[in-house]
Amino acid sequence: MRLRTAQRSRILSLLLVLALVVAACGDGRDDGDDTSAEGDDDTDQPADDGNGGDDGGDDGEAAFTIDTEFCATDPASVGIEGDTITFGTSLPQSGLYAAFAEILRGEQAYFSYVNEELGGVEINGNQYRIELLAKDDAYQADQTVTNVDQLVQDDGVFALFNVVGTRNNLAIRDFVNEECVPNLFAATGSPAWGNRDYPWILGTGLVPYSIEMQAFVDYLTETKPDATIAVLRANDDFGRAYSDTLRALTEGTDMTIVQEETYDPEGADVAAQVTSLAATNADAWVLGATLLGCPTALREADAAGWSPIIYMSGTCTSKTLMNAAAEAGDGVISVSPAIDPNDPQYASDEDLVLYNEKIAQYSPEADPTNGIVVYGWVAAAALVETLQRIEGEPTRLSLMQAARTLEVSDLPMMVPGATWSVSEDDWFLGEQFNLVQFSFADGFFKPLGELRSYDDQTEEITPDDLING
Amino acid sequence: MAGGRPWASPNRVAAWLVGIAVLAFLLYVPQYYEATTVNRYTTAIFIGIAAMGLNILTGYNGQVSIGHGAFFALGGYTSALLMRDAGWPFLATVPIAALVCFVVGALVGFPALRVKGLYLALVTLGLAVVFPDVARKFVNSTDGFFDHNGEPGTVQLSIREHLAPPFWHDWFADPIADRLRDWIGARDQWAYYCALFLGLLLLLGVWLISRSRFGRALIAVRDHEAAAATVGIDLARVKVAAFALSALYAGVAGSLAVMINRSASVTKQEVFQDSIFFLVAVVIGGTATVVGPMIGAFILVFVQEWLDESDWLSDLLDDQRARLASPALFGIALILAMYVLPDGLVGGSRRLLRRLKRRRPVSEAAVT
Amino acid sequence: MDLFVSQLMIGIQAGVVYASLALALVLIYRTTGLLNFAQGEMALLSTYLTWKFTDYGLPVWVSIVASVLVSFAGGALVERVVMRPVEQSSPLVLVIVTIGMFLALNAITQVIFGTDDKHLPRAYPFEVWEVAGIRVRSDTLVLIGVLVAECVLLWYLVQKTKLGLALRAVASNPDSSRLVGVSVGTMLMVGWGLAAGLGALAGALVVPTTPALTPGSMQSILVFAFAAAALGGFDSPLGAVVGGLVMGVANALTVEYVDALDGIELVVPFGLILLVLLFRPAGLFGRVHVERV
Repeated sequence: MRLRTAQRSRILSLLLVLALVVAACGDGRDDGDDTSAEGDDDTDQPADDGNGGDDGGDDGEAAFTIDTEFCATDPASVGIEGDTITFGTSLPQSGLYAAFAEILRGEQAYFSYVNEELGGVEINGNQYRIELLAKDDAYQADQTVTNVDQLVQDDGVFALFNVVGTRNNLAIRDFVNEECVPNLFAATGSPAWGNRDYPWILGTGLVPYSIEMQAFVDYLTETKPDATIAVLRANDDFGRAYSDTLRALTEGTDMTIVQEETYDPEGADVAAQVTSLAATNADAWVLGATLLGCPTALREADAAGWSPIIYMSGTCTSKTLMNAAAEAGDGVISVSPAIDPNDPQYASDEDLVLYNEKIAQYSPEADPTNGIVVYGWVAAAALVETLQRIEGEPTRLSLMQAARTLEVSDLPMMVPGATWSVSEDDWFLGEQFNLVQFSFADGFFKPLGELRSYDDQTEEITPDDLING
Repeated sequence: MAGGRPWASPNRVAAWLVGIAVLAFLLYVPQYYEATTVNRYTTAIFIGIAAMGLNILTGYNGQVSIGHGAFFALGGYTSALLMRDAGWPFLATVPIAALVCFVVGALVGFPALRVKGLYLALVTLGLAVVFPDVARKFVNSTDGFFDHNGEPGTVQLSIREHLAPPFWHDWFADPIADRLRDWIGARDQWAYYCALFLGLLLLLGVWLISRSRFGRALIAVRDHEAAAATVGIDLARVKVAAFALSALYAGVAGSLAVMINRSASVTKQEVFQDSIFFLVAVVIGGTATVVGPMIGAFILVFVQEWLDESDWLSDLLDDQRARLASPALFGIALILAMYVLPDGLVGGSRRLLRRLKRRRPVSEAAVT
Repeated sequence: MDLFVSQLMIGIQAGVVYASLALALVLIYRTTGLLNFAQGEMALLSTYLTWKFTDYGLPVWVSIVASVLVSFAGGALVERVVMRPVEQSSPLVLVIVTIGMFLALNAITQVIFGTDDKHLPRAYPFEVWEVAGIRVRSDTLVLIGVLVAECVLLWYLVQKTKLGLALRAVASNPDSSRLVGVSVGTMLMVGWGLAAGLGALAGALVVPTTPALTPGSMQSILVFAFAAAALGGFDSPLGAVVGGLVMGVANALTVEYVDALDGIELVVPFGLILLVLLFRPAGLFGRVHVERV
């Protein structure tokens, strides 16, 4: 039973096709580790329990010690080739959270401005351009994992920047920590970034969610110290940060939480929950929600005829969302680390003028009045500032050390007079900000009183399991 | 029928040769490609495993389920929790995940006896929708086995502790250990070989089922329930077993996914999407065929990736639109695939081969 | 007591939203025997079309009517072009085709209209009235009114007109219908067109009750609409309405009264569906098909 010619040729052609397919796709495997031999490794740092050891610096600032003993790739040997620094980011550009894609526009505008007009960033005497590679994860954590794998391993980015989402950053936290890749300015205010076991992830200038609660509780203490509080929060870690901290902060005071409801963050279906809360007629209402959950909840409360003192998560302070809420958003209190571009008092502020100009020039499709774009701009400025503070040769390690001792005051579009700082004892950046109140008639968030400052307090007031859980 | 085909008929030899070539290629994948591509192959394999399971239920037994993403997630959680909280190595968690899903699948299979067709599909959809909420509530609660805080519904695994390949040098002499480390020492390689091993095992399982009495019973129940009952087939046993087995497969697939994602967590969107993709893989590969679902899974994964990464689309539209458009192309491709190959790839090729064979002139057939 | 009634109203409000889309699903099922996964996304595209018309300056009601008409034509076209080639295929193949449409339509909508939030103006003003201590919203009343009108019109169309007779004939026995001269293809197109029109109307009325029109506007509604149709029986328009209401009310009451299920309230509505189907396998009002052995 020999094979007939027809079938023989069929098989051969199939094998040939397979061989071609193998040859055609993919690059060869590069099993090598990237430990280039150049220079000394700085891995002989005091390898104690690791992070936050002593301060060996003699230039005034405590040099931050990171234990690099277990790094899969030595971060002190990963430097920059050529004159371009490539950063990677993963954010939702499609799907339910696509509104966050506007962050990228703000970031890219700032980087283009720096590259084209300021000649790039100067580190250790050399000028570098900044490039940002963005991948879409539709807010899904497993896609973020895949994106970051690709960015770090295939695209060889120098570091990660402004990855969006608490869940998403949690998903890559272990990887980033074991590969020792800096993940700077994670775009979430979660208290989880204070966990000392993970020195390679740094949170952004967004006000930490627990500090938001402290700011509101302080506000209530001044205005209505015996308030009854109702809470609506998303059923995830983001929402829990608000409710758990609020609970801890109101213990032992005259304020009481009368009811707490959760909603499914994927659905923004809050009508029943708000109706239930409205029936309590509480004096104050904390809204730990994001994106469309905010305007939906606000409108429901309005329809139910309930007008408490409302505190809304800082992640919702965008013009688009407040427009969707219409009159229901009037009087809502929140926080903002940046100035509101719609606020006429800043109309002639040179930072705002520059921002408007450059957004129009480099990201013309973006709406400069959208707070999300502002956020991207400020975050990019923070990154450039960090780069400029690198001591010595730019490597992943020196970048992370510069980031961990960052202290900066005049980032463009930051609230005037605020300082953002992190150090060994305080891992949270955005602790100085404005408490703001939305005015529907005027269409922007007005600062309420003076600059709020809560330096070093995030870790004090946040329940421990939110940080180290 | 007279005796069936001779063992070494030309078609069978051809099939074997192709099979061996494919196997050799698959064994070689992690040695040649870099990590991201290997992970993609691993993903295709575990989606194929889940699709094979769904095929048992839907293809062979005719019960349509659009909720198998829930079993997939359940398997993932079982594995992840055992790894994180009880320190088990990955492969040890797989049988447990399989068992848990088998039991839950059987439990779901019972009420499914009363509900048929369209309505069953919707009940399974309900399962897919409710499962993420339940997971969020009980995983990460504050007492008992799931005693951890953090993001509700998420189990985070560290690579070094849980997902790194086992150490070989303790067991073998150095030259062998070195070899092993080279071949399967990288994390993506280890995950891939686990997936391949389990995939082949489960493929064998489907093949055995297809040739067994149980397999014939499955088909009989699908095609004509009343007649099957008349012939003495225990409808309840067959249908529940089909559910249980399909859930088991999905659970194993979910465990493997944990190796790639380094965590277990689900959202309604993900569970729904997974459920749909398993069904698509089954249909485009070929329902009620043994290898069809696996092939369908590979097509699904690689066509999606090809569409996502292709440049010609971004030449046509701007970058943002190009990215948004790729699911549109995928959807259109699906529709076109159904026009051309309604029996799936395997089913369609079989039909093609049959038609080609019929073209043979009678005299030549007589000579062989 | 007040709170109970308030939550009841909230449930009804959510329920009519689900029922609106469920009605379109039921219509497609009754005329073509098909479960249309893409119904929500078709409604989404129609709603974006309505928005575009208002963006051009047309008054809201005109935009809605225009969109409904265009959607009718579009639905008929989809049947002719996309579904006709696979009409004779197995149900699974049809499901995959509708899934393909679901993915494609959602993406196409985003490509044409972008992903940013759009504001769709209301067709009627937003009012909240207090009737005997209960807060009633204009949204709820309008949606209920529209649903009732749709049901009545559909009933009249299907039961009392020749067109309806032809539709029913084609749905129950296409081959025989062909023999008596009914154009099966045309009837199928009409069925799809009507369903698409219903979907357009549903979208145009429902979306303004949410903060914005986004590409995800229809996705959560779709799952509930399917569930509502299953609960009520896929071939019963009345079932779709009742099913939707039951889903909405069950959810709202669970949120309010059952704290133990906090976070997993969905178990109740979906559990209800399972329970109903166990006792009435074709839904509350569906007709069970008897098979001749």
